[in-house]
Amino acid sequence: MTAETIIELSGVEKRFGTLTAVRDLDLELVKGEFFSLLGPSGCGKTTALRMIAGFQEPSSGTIRIDGEDVSTVPANRRPTNMVFQSYAIFPHLDVGDNVGFGLHRSGLSRKERRARVSEALELVELGGYERRRANQLSGGQQQRVALARALVMRPKVLLLDEPLSALDKNLREAMQLELRRLQQSIGITFVMVTHDQYEAMTMSDRIGVMFNGQLEQVDTPQTLYASPGTRSVANFIGGMNFLPARLHNEGGGTLDMEIAGFGAMAVGRNPNVADHGRNALVGIRPEQLEIAAHRPEGYDSTVQCRVADIAFYGESIHYFVEVDGVPETMTVAVPNYFHSVDFTRGATAWLGVQAASVIDLGRNRDNETQQGEKT
Amino acid sequence: MPLRTDTSKGLALGAPATLYVGLLVVAPLGMLVAYSFWTQTYVAIDHSLTWENYRSAIGDPLVRHLLFRSVWIAALVTLMTVLLAYPIAYFIAFRTERKALWLLLITIPFWTSYLLRVFAWKLILGFNGLLNSGLQGLGLIHEPMTWLLYNEFAVVLTLAHAWAPFAILPIYVSLQKIDRRLLEAATDLGSGKLERFFRVTLPLTIPGIISSSLIIFIPTVGDYVTPALVGGADGKMIANLIQVQFGPANDWPLGATLSLLAMVTVGIVAVGYVLLLRFLGSRIR
Repeated sequence: MTAETIIELSGVEKRFGTLTAVRDLDLELVKGEFFSLLGPSGCGKTTALRMIAGFQEPSSGTIRIDGEDVSTVPANRRPTNMVFQSYAIFPHLDVGDNVGFGLHRSGLSRKERRARVSEALELVELGGYERRRANQLSGGQQQRVALARALVMRPKVLLLDEPLSALDKNLREAMQLELRRLQQSIGITFVMVTHDQYEAMTMSDRIGVMFNGQLEQVDTPQTLYASPGTRSVANFIGGMNFLPARLHNEGGGTLDMEIAGFGAMAVGRNPNVADHGRNALVGIRPEQLEIAAHRPEGYDSTVQCRVADIAFYGESIHYFVEVDGVPETMTVAVPNYFHSVDFTRGATAWLGVQAASVIDLGRNRDNETQQGEKT
Repeated sequence: MPLRTDTSKGLALGAPATLYVGLLVVAPLGMLVAYSFWTQTYVAIDHSLTWENYRSAIGDPLVRHLLFRSVWIAALVTLMTVLLAYPIAYFIAFRTERKALWLLLITIPFWTSYLLRVFAWKLILGFNGLLNSGLQGLGLIHEPMTWLLYNEFAVVLTLAHAWAPFAILPIYVSLQKIDRRLLEAATDLGSGKLERFFRVTLPLTIPGIISSSLIIFIPTVGDYVTPALVGGADGKMIANLIQVQFGPANDWPLGATLSLLAMVTVGIVAVGYVLLLRFLGSRIR
């Protein structure tokens, strides 16, 4: 990549007593990218963000921002600003004073500060709100004030700690697109922490997925979805049906496998998986499965199944089906258009799948399975 | 008969409080106001209404002097107590995990009576008291210090000690309520520790400072026990004069008038103080 590095974490660890919150974190972020740290709660993503912000000092390792080692620089002297989860709007100040809080010692005149504040408020579409009190604002407006207050400082990196989690669903989706647009127009590097996979995928250029203090995979949303490197990642991003398989022949670009329930298939090799073995694991996304009343034609593998349960989601319908030879109930997602298939509980149906839709997940480790589901 | 309407239920529920306030607050206050317009004639009370008590009380330089001194001493006590209480409250709220233990320790002086605590100070500060005999025993002073007791200083010290927990608790509560993320946000926006304190912590604790101050100031203006025991001649306050009217001088109407004058003075000073602090708080940017 030719782009400039803005943040570089190398070997960063954070230990709290006997607990290691973040272990051996290596990460390089590029100037102007929208990066998300994604993972379940307690995975260490917030600790990682707080170390970048300077609220926590790493137990070991170094943090560089724009080439400068800031590992021991306190938060008030770092070129980063943060949007807090609960926004942390100062209740004793009005909107203008909240946004202008950090400009106090900038050496700017009162007039210049006022201009910067109103410019920042325009940016988040709150122009003219200067004299409103914090308690007169809705959640979405507080979110914008927090954003303006951080952006007015013109940070090299903007840090966002679960910025949308306190908003209701519709507002959250609107803000996702708006934040993304804002980030592209101002070109500042955004680092966001979230546990919401959809949020991470819709907004980010790249996503780092964390489990148990460890960064498991860093990739674009498309790659993470198509070629997850571990079972945990595959499980956390999108829905996934896991199937045990036997690897017969690994040679060239494809792997010859005998997949539980679905029989022999030639599966494309996943570039993010290094370790293969005779005991293999594959995954099939729920929307990649075809379900039909009669044996569907033109698929690499077809198999009979029983519909155990149905969930109606509006835009799609999920069928939970049992297939002989497959240990776990499988999920099939069908878009809900007018001639959509319609099965009742207990009905018999057929599944069809293309070999290209089967994701190679490498060696099947039982212990890894448990780890992925515990979190 | 069962209660049928919401109105009668409401009246029934409100009755105990109404009765309590009526008997213990409104009635005595009404009596006080009534007395202040009557006149004492040797053993009987003349019930004809007159402003004479007010005229003579306000015209009396001793009354004005004592009232002013009471407000002055109370203000000193309040200032001293709040200044000492703030760091203690800050320590408990931010710097220790054993909050319950510290709060318990602070209330320990309250396990003995107020009178005993005042006497304790008398024993410490007296001519042959703990401080003087201790320092003499150590050879640091040769004769007892007499400026310790029976003056303004002794009154301020004793009251400041007596009121300390009352000042600490409201400030502690307002500090404890501060969302820690606000402090992080201030740091994130470039504030050092000191700037953060003056721009975020202090303004957010102004309500606590106001309630601490009023809790101390209002009863201190009217305090009677402490000035009587440790105040000496120049530590006397308005309450001591009021006591004289209801006791030895046997002039209840004048006593009532002085009480009401003290109340009005306290009210005016307290409202002015609250407005001033609120204004100062709103000036912090």
